[in-house]
Amino acid sequence: MSAADLGAGRWFPDEMPSPAANAETVGWWEAAAQHRLVVQRCSQCGATRHPPGPVCPVCRSLASEWAELPGTGRVYTYTIVRQAFLPALADVIPYVVAVVEPDGAGGTRMVTNVVDIDPEEVEIGMPVEVVWEDIGPELALPRFRPRTTGAGT
Amino acid sequence: MTPSRRRAVICGAATSDYPYLPELSEHAVHAQAADRALADAGLTYADVDGFATAGFFPMYSVGVAEYLGLHPTYFDETNSGGSSFEVLVEHAAYAVESGAAEVVLVTYGSVQLSQMGRRLGTGGGGGAGMPGPAIYDSLWGNTLVGNYALAARRHMHEYGTTPEQLAAVAVTMRGHAGHNPQAQYRDPITVEDVVTGRLVADPLHKLDCCVISDGGGACIVTTAERAADLQRPPVWILGGAHATTHHMNLSAMADLTVTPAAQSGPLAFSRAGLTPADVDVAQLYDSFTITVVLTVEDLGFCAKGEGGAFVQDGGLGLSGRLPTNTDGGGLSACHPGMRGMFLIVEAVRQLRGEGGPTQVPDARIAVAHGTGGMLSTGATLILGREEP
Repeated sequence: MSAADLGAGRWFPDEMPSPAANAETVGWWEAAAQHRLVVQRCSQCGATRHPPGPVCPVCRSLASEWAELPGTGRVYTYTIVRQAFLPALADVIPYVVAVVEPDGAGGTRMVTNVVDIDPEEVEIGMPVEVVWEDIGPELALPRFRPRTTGAGT
Repeated sequence: MTPSRRRAVICGAATSDYPYLPELSEHAVHAQAADRALADAGLTYADVDGFATAGFFPMYSVGVAEYLGLHPTYFDETNSGGSSFEVLVEHAAYAVESGAAEVVLVTYGSVQLSQMGRRLGTGGGGGAGMPGPAIYDSLWGNTLVGNYALAARRHMHEYGTTPEQLAAVAVTMRGHAGHNPQAQYRDPITVEDVVTGRLVADPLHKLDCCVISDGGGACIVTTAERAADLQRPPVWILGGAHATTHHMNLSAMADLTVTPAAQSGPLAFSRAGLTPADVDVAQLYDSFTITVVLTVEDLGFCAKGEGGAFVQDGGLGLSGRLPTNTDGGGLSACHPGMRGMFLIVEAVRQLRGEGGPTQVPDARIAVAHGTGGMLSTGATLILGREEP
């Protein structure tokens, strides 16, 4: 089996870890399930944060909202993982883990993947756009691919 | 700094056997290291009124204390990952200086290597199966090595650091390990060997990564007054500090090229009344080669971005800019998971002139710096062989 054998819209096998959402994070996962990329934004001071958490690390407000993002961004840094840490990943390596700076997220970054590209071609600063992988009825994960639309700055 | 002030010293230190201990339990490694450190100091368990250690279960220190037959009136189990033991010794120094304790035993034990053989999977999960925010990494297949690779790639991008410069760290550590009969790997390696080796997570190759070992160590913190009656020359705890910037997600790190050492280092040097230029020998956490490059910058041994040039061409060798990890480090000698105790034991040996073939001549000031988590925590100890 290879990544291509997983079928359209699939890049990773089913045996990956799954998240356990709580009251503070469920909004992020619900948005993801609807293919909406969001970032948690403090309702009081506007600071963004990721991963989601209960308290604004800038002003300590408990109030927050989910700010919808356009789904574009740039690669801040990346690595090509060549050793499988789960047996199920043996057929998927090499794959790219990246830290992406989504546009409109106030400089907040997220760990994700860059897919649909030869890993050797990934570069820091590369424009990317979100692509969703449906894992199950309640779970979709944002990954990113080289930007194909409206490639302005 | 009045003459009457109680001053903290390390009066005994030792490592356990390492790097492969299939016949020992984790607690037995603690016991072996504790026995040796107490014997080194010329003390017994009856002299110990404080105990500190770090492990991966709640109430870990009280469990090990029971095993060792200790009923301490001071205990501490602060766990900040690989930097835990620098933090625990700093805390112990405050405890003896305040009078809260007289003799604090600090131990570490791990059989991580032997346990792997009894576990399924390939290791290096880097958050897989962990609770809380770590899932925001591991869901996307990130790994422990991958996190450090993300930092390394960014450092290369911003400062032009090369794989060969990173490799130089591994080559120097292996050279030191060649003089350490206990070291896990002792055969010399070259920069070529590192950069043509298997990539685990670009740009980190297999030899850019620490080894996986069994082992432990222990040290004893007391006052200079108490140590004056003991058999070993005291090693003075001149200053210590620790810091954290994030938990497990590098996406939450403001700058992937700046570690908590940038906070703990200047604070520790300030508390010691010293500067990086005063340091004769360094013991720096080397989970990966990039960890050392970031640490020499953040502790102030060179400017940010110059770490690659600083470590190349034997910069960390015995006659280099900063003799570092004289036992061979985690990259070659021993890395049982939280290596911080080894940094302290080796610093003590150097300051007592017991370094053997890798002794730095006339070493007076040593720094031991631990790094924990995913570049998440840093803890710096400044140690000296002379009364400040």
